[in-house]
Amino acid sequence: MIRLSSLFWLALVLISGFAMFKVKYAVQDLDDELGRVRKQTVAEQQEIRVLNAEWSYLTQPERLAELNRKFLSLAPIPTKQLQQSIDGIPLRPPAPPALPAEEPAIAAAAPSAAPAPDTVAAATGPATPEPAASRATSMAELVAAALQSGAETDEPAAGDTVAPGSARPVPARVATLKPETGLRLVKASATGRPHTLDDLFAQVGGDR
Amino acid sequence: MAVPQFADDNPCRPRHFRPPPPCAPVVPDPQASEAIETCRTRLLTAAALFAVVFVVVALRLVEIVAFAGASAESHAGRIRPPAPPSMARGDIVDRNGTLLATTLDTPSLYADPRQVIDPAEAARSLSAVLPGLDPKEVYAKLASGKSFVWLKRRLTPRQTYAVNRLGIPGFQFEHEERRVYPFGDVAAHVVGYCGIDNNGLAGIERALDGTMKTRHEALQLSLDSRVQFILREELAKVVEDFTAKGAAGIIMDVRTGEIIAMVSLPDFDPNHPGAVDPAMPAAEAKDRTFNKVTLGDYEMGSAFKIFNTAMALDGGTATLAKQYDAIHDIRIGRFTISDYHGKHRMLTVPEVFMYSSNLGSARMAMEAGAERQRTFLGRLGLLKPVPIEFDEVSKPHFPSQWREVNVITIAYGHGIAVSPLHVATAVSAIVNGGILHRPTVLKLPPGAEPPGERVISQKTSEQMRKLMRLVVQYGTAKLAEAPGYVVGGKTGTAEKNSGGHYQEKKLVSDFVGVFPMQDPRYLVLTMVDEPHGTKQSHGFATAGWTVVPATSRIVQRIAPLLGVTPVDEQSPEIVKALSVESLQGRKIENY
Repeated sequence: MIRLSSLFWLALVLISGFAMFKVKYAVQDLDDELGRVRKQTVAEQQEIRVLNAEWSYLTQPERLAELNRKFLSLAPIPTKQLQQSIDGIPLRPPAPPALPAEEPAIAAAAPSAAPAPDTVAAATGPATPEPAASRATSMAELVAAALQSGAETDEPAAGDTVAPGSARPVPARVATLKPETGLRLVKASATGRPHTLDDLFAQVGGDR
Repeated sequence: MAVPQFADDNPCRPRHFRPPPPCAPVVPDPQASEAIETCRTRLLTAAALFAVVFVVVALRLVEIVAFAGASAESHAGRIRPPAPPSMARGDIVDRNGTLLATTLDTPSLYADPRQVIDPAEAARSLSAVLPGLDPKEVYAKLASGKSFVWLKRRLTPRQTYAVNRLGIPGFQFEHEERRVYPFGDVAAHVVGYCGIDNNGLAGIERALDGTMKTRHEALQLSLDSRVQFILREELAKVVEDFTAKGAAGIIMDVRTGEIIAMVSLPDFDPNHPGAVDPAMPAAEAKDRTFNKVTLGDYEMGSAFKIFNTAMALDGGTATLAKQYDAIHDIRIGRFTISDYHGKHRMLTVPEVFMYSSNLGSARMAMEAGAERQRTFLGRLGLLKPVPIEFDEVSKPHFPSQWREVNVITIAYGHGIAVSPLHVATAVSAIVNGGILHRPTVLKLPPGAEPPGERVISQKTSEQMRKLMRLVVQYGTAKLAEAPGYVVGGKTGTAEKNSGGHYQEKKLVSDFVGVFPMQDPRYLVLTMVDEPHGTKQSHGFATAGWTVVPATSRIVQRIAPLLGVTPVDEQSPEIVKALSVESLQGRKIENY
């Protein structure tokens, strides 16, 4: 009788001891993971802060106004364009048969210092008749290409000197946009202000 | 107790053992047995308690081991989220959540040259990722054999990543928090700036330094960065066009006292407040960090006629139909008061206001008396510092003894110097129905009705709206007209007083505009310091030619952003809301 109960207790001790170690190691692992996750969270938060700062920096009204002047030429809304009721809005006049030739105008609005001949060629060249359906996408590409050409004003890019008429496809040009250039959009103004957050940092660093 | 009395019945008794003789005959003693009984009960209770505790512990163990405890989520609440990375200061955002100030980790790179295995290779690869570094210089540092050399201060996150990727032993980062202002000088005077140890030294950074240090969530200002940008741009244009010394501007929500934009030019870049602005090299650092809106004291000139007229109308000493003598100059002591652009006839109160007649205003004030004038200005908060969050607030200058000559000059805004913020706050109260709100740069919850103090009656407020509209329709501020937004206001042009003398060539021109006048929402105060006339302005540097056209442009640009719907000024409701009975049926002369 005594032996049986002793065996029972011994087994219990062994089992609970084993269980305890198991739990302990599991907890330790979880703790490590928690530490890792926390560290990562902090790093991500830090990253978010940097991105927020960068976003704010890149969306400065001054810079947006400059980009607008360069690429979009949007004007402040005059009072007569603001209507109070839906009835005040006149009906659209009947659409002209052909699409208005806006694209060359946009391309011409790009700085003449660094023209993007291939985009001009794509828009005006007789060799590249585009189907009307693809115009919308090509507009977006045009803007992207114009941005790119604006960003490259510092260096005389050899790739830009494509003879007009040689029908280089526009998408190929867009494909040359490196993924990180999205963040490194050059501030359009030609004043001595820093162009990216990196430059701002450098300037701030040199300052103190 | 079952104590064996005779050891002989025990079979296991050692032979030599002799039981001790009983000390006393064991007789059942009722008292003793009772005590023993109590003892046993207590023991049992204690044992039971322990048993319960052990059972609970055992069950809990079984639960944790066998059933893996409760779900992880139920524990999540007990674990505190990781503290943000020892952030010294919280962010500052504008009313739309646009980031105006943030704290970033800026690591600086240093090296322990003794640990660097191949200095030449390290220098080459480091200067490849940090193009600003000279490889020779880096090599010299790394080969120096010292135990510590700075390689580059304040790296960007991208550069930090690049350096880390090189994996060169011996390179270390020293982490440091830096305050960064992505919008630069746009909101410089409101946001302020921090010193090298991240202590706020100006603006809201200084005013709420203690709060900023402890809070981790962003502080939301009432500022709208877009409106702020527009105000700054237009004021900068005025400064440039009229080669002025500086300018100041406020845009205020008249219903709440929230400041939507506040600009003082010249200003500074809070990222490096000490650096010289290339656009304005002449402006001294002191001048640039000086907030004209809150800290400057100016004689605001005719803009004070708003308060003078409101005082007379509210106190009942004048009515809109009452006429004042604008024919005869006033001589008092050695002064002669006359009109700048006189009509030389009797003028009704609306005419006095829209033609900005000093004579009419002075007579209106003399009629009301010194005591009433002083009390009224005091009630509008013009005789004490503005209760705003900033530390940089000015104390108004006004005569200690309120004599008759003071009454006269104060009627048209001379002999009393207040900050533009004073005027904006008080005029907001005049047009919003008569409630004076505390101005603030912190965003109020939408729809909140901040407490206010009634300073004039609803009726007077309505009358003042009409008069201010007349100034833009027929008076001194016709160029402030912004189609659809029913602008009203009052111009002011004062000569600067230096050493007790007024200098004819040094002007302060200001304009207090409010729109839309039938139901005022926003106040735009613009002021330009020492403007010089140009060809376009026919040589004039008065408010009507400088800040008034700027106000028109500002209103047209900001109104769509602030959600003010344009109206048709000729529509019967608007005309009715702003018509002045005493001028009905008369042809109104232009200024």
